[in-house]
Amino acid sequence: MYIVKRLLTMIVTIWLIATLTFIIMKSIPGDPFASDANVLPEEVLQNIRAKYNLDKPLPVQYALYMKNLLTFDLGPSIQSETRDVNTLIADGFPVSAVLGLQSLVIALLFGILLGIIAALNHNRLLDHVAMFLAIIGISVPSFILAPLLIKYFAVEWKLLPVASWGTWAHSILPSIALATTPMAVIARFMRSSMLEVMRQNYIKTAEAKGLSPAAIVIKHGIRNAILPVITFIGPLFAVLITGTFVIEKIFAIPGLGKYFVDSIFNRDYPVILGTTVFFSTILVITLFLVDISYRLIDPRIKLTSRGD
Amino acid sequence: MKKVFASIFALLLLVSTVLAGCGSKGTSEDGAAKNIKQEITLNAMSEPPSLDPALASDTTSGWIIDHLFEGLYTKNQKGEPVLGAASDVKVSDDGKTYTFTIRDNAKWSDGDPVTAQDFEYAWKRVLDPKTGSPFAFYMYYIKGAEEYNKGKGSADQVGVKALDDKTLQVELKAPLGYFDKLLTMWTFYPVKKSLVESNPKWAAEAKGYVSNGAYRLTEWKHNSEVVIEKNQHYWNKDAINMEKVTWKMVNDATTYYQMYKTGELDLIATLPTDAIAQEKNNKEFKVVPYFGTYMFMFNVNKEPFNNAKIRRAFAMAIDRKAIVENITKSGEKPAYAFVPYGVNTPDGDFREVGGAYFEENVKEAKKLLQEGMKEEGWSKLPEVTLIYNTAENHKKIAEAVQEMLKRNLGVKIKLANQEWKTYLETTDQSNFQMARMGWIGIFVDPTVILDYYLGDSPNNRTNWVNKQFDDLMAKAKVEQDDKKRYELLHEAEKVLMTDMPFIPVYFYSQNYLTSPKFKGIVYPVNRFPDVRWAKKIAE
Repeated sequence: MYIVKRLLTMIVTIWLIATLTFIIMKSIPGDPFASDANVLPEEVLQNIRAKYNLDKPLPVQYALYMKNLLTFDLGPSIQSETRDVNTLIADGFPVSAVLGLQSLVIALLFGILLGIIAALNHNRLLDHVAMFLAIIGISVPSFILAPLLIKYFAVEWKLLPVASWGTWAHSILPSIALATTPMAVIARFMRSSMLEVMRQNYIKTAEAKGLSPAAIVIKHGIRNAILPVITFIGPLFAVLITGTFVIEKIFAIPGLGKYFVDSIFNRDYPVILGTTVFFSTILVITLFLVDISYRLIDPRIKLTSRGD
Repeated sequence: MKKVFASIFALLLLVSTVLAGCGSKGTSEDGAAKNIKQEITLNAMSEPPSLDPALASDTTSGWIIDHLFEGLYTKNQKGEPVLGAASDVKVSDDGKTYTFTIRDNAKWSDGDPVTAQDFEYAWKRVLDPKTGSPFAFYMYYIKGAEEYNKGKGSADQVGVKALDDKTLQVELKAPLGYFDKLLTMWTFYPVKKSLVESNPKWAAEAKGYVSNGAYRLTEWKHNSEVVIEKNQHYWNKDAINMEKVTWKMVNDATTYYQMYKTGELDLIATLPTDAIAQEKNNKEFKVVPYFGTYMFMFNVNKEPFNNAKIRRAFAMAIDRKAIVENITKSGEKPAYAFVPYGVNTPDGDFREVGGAYFEENVKEAKKLLQEGMKEEGWSKLPEVTLIYNTAENHKKIAEAVQEMLKRNLGVKIKLANQEWKTYLETTDQSNFQMARMGWIGIFVDPTVILDYYLGDSPNNRTNWVNKQFDDLMAKAKVEQDDKKRYELLHEAEKVLMTDMPFIPVYFYSQNYLTSPKFKGIVYPVNRFPDVRWAKKIAE
């Protein structure tokens, strides 16, 4: 019952997002075909508008769009003349997903590790070092970090290629650049959550039982402390796997991230809607999975909708 | 025409042998050249929006398409139009009917012959209202073309006809002095009729893509790279040295600059501003004039720019040298007219013949401003707002102009910026007093520049309409004698520059870094570099 209700809510959410995006997007001034390079004669513009159904009244455009959405057809891209939004996503998403997953793994692994080390060495040198790193990670934006990584790893030491996409070596620097900020955030979450947990009575009980410190930390500590981190990685996962504009631009990665920004500048309506709908679908699914995973990690949490 | 082409070719052969001789260091040049893989990696900066000649309307797509296709005319190393896919042309006495003979050995990259029917089909496809080709209006010089494109005529009435497999007849509405230049544009390239008819998405992927030029498309990884390789069926393939050209798509200036430094790219354009100072004395650094003008448009219907003297006063009060030397810094030239450098005329470069139409003179500018205000009966100049589209360089230039006007004329203007597409809408609706704009000629002729301010030009956002100017332009277009044609164009520019519905600021330039391993790259004044004749001389 919970799952059915949840699924219905998800569909309504996506529809609402698509509708709102449609309204907002059509209310920005500007025309996808406007250009300084060649202002087209009105008749030619009409021909081109007709090609994209933009000559029809807005409600009709909306209805047509929703009809296509039901068949998972996101329409043609205005900017890439011969390609449609489905292809753009099919080409770009796998690239962004690989990059996003790689950086998520890095962020989780090192973030959790740093957080635990900091918490277990509370107010000692290692704690300060770990938190210093975390603060740097949060405050140095990726568009500063990325060129620095390129400068040293690619230009000075010639260990990795500067940019572009193709081999695994190409993905290392962008993954690191992308992982740094989430890693730092996770480390801080993990630290405070871990500190909280380690003060609990059941930890003291475990100590009294004579469990080894490692067993206490792994079985009782991490398992309880990780819940807030999971809440955070839900949306993070959705953001990372759908690509990020800045990193993709700096490293010339053919991912999905650029479309979120470029489509708005170009007023490429089908791409604006397509990427927004795609992202929100991934996001609501992820949030759903996060809710389910709570239950797996902590059996005390029950999955119920309000009123049940 | 054939003779000219042959002699240029011979000259080239000679030059290349001489150059090759210079480069050899002990080893036999032939042997060395054979061992060097003739490959070059360029940067397209972004995904080309379309590799279909009918749909492309940007220079990135055009850069690649120009290497893949060849029109009836093509450009030689000097940028002059020479016969390409056509071997011969006959022009009727009234200058209105052109009869082209398609080369016997002109072939598609799949080996099939290029036919006159392919051209007829390609051009009518551009004009077909259903195609929605953004550059269709460049064909309006052809009889019946405008009517068909605007839905008022039929394809049969268009003056393009294949008389047989190898003969193409083109009828123009009126004689056109630069029809050969126009024909080098990608909109006029042929497409393979049987392919395009059977597959409307033929140009979306490398697989199945067929072209008739020096290269064929072999790989297209969207948003990542385009690879083209020498077309073995190209009639003039012996003139092509470079076997393989790869375009990466790196948009970030710092990144592509670093890729050049590590050798991942062989040629880059538009260096990051901070790198220009660093590379200025590098032999690999090159600045080429670019066929375009940066300007501020006036809305002549809005005060105070309804007054020509005030417009002129503003133009004279700006220090262009300071702008190009301290702000843009990449070899731009101060502009005192509209048509940029780069048009070869019988009397020399069009700009040098025409000269400057005004000078910077603060004293004179102040006087003109006072006179203008007196004519209008203003004791105080109406408030002026200068708008520009949001970008760092436009902002810096606008701020400099604001400061110069304050210092030189004592006029305080306001600045406002808007995001690009919003900006285009604002200026299209003439909702401005003074606005920045740039214009780049799609082919190198004063006409494409001056047409900008025709009374009925959709580009003309200034509300300035001048019958004398329009008449001179119309006359110039049908003038068959090149010398007279340029004279008329000079006269037209003079009329425009006397009234000044805009302030020219500078003529654009384009900067490049090119690896010293390459020779023979051509840098046209309104396109990205042409590598058809390039040669790699060192690993």
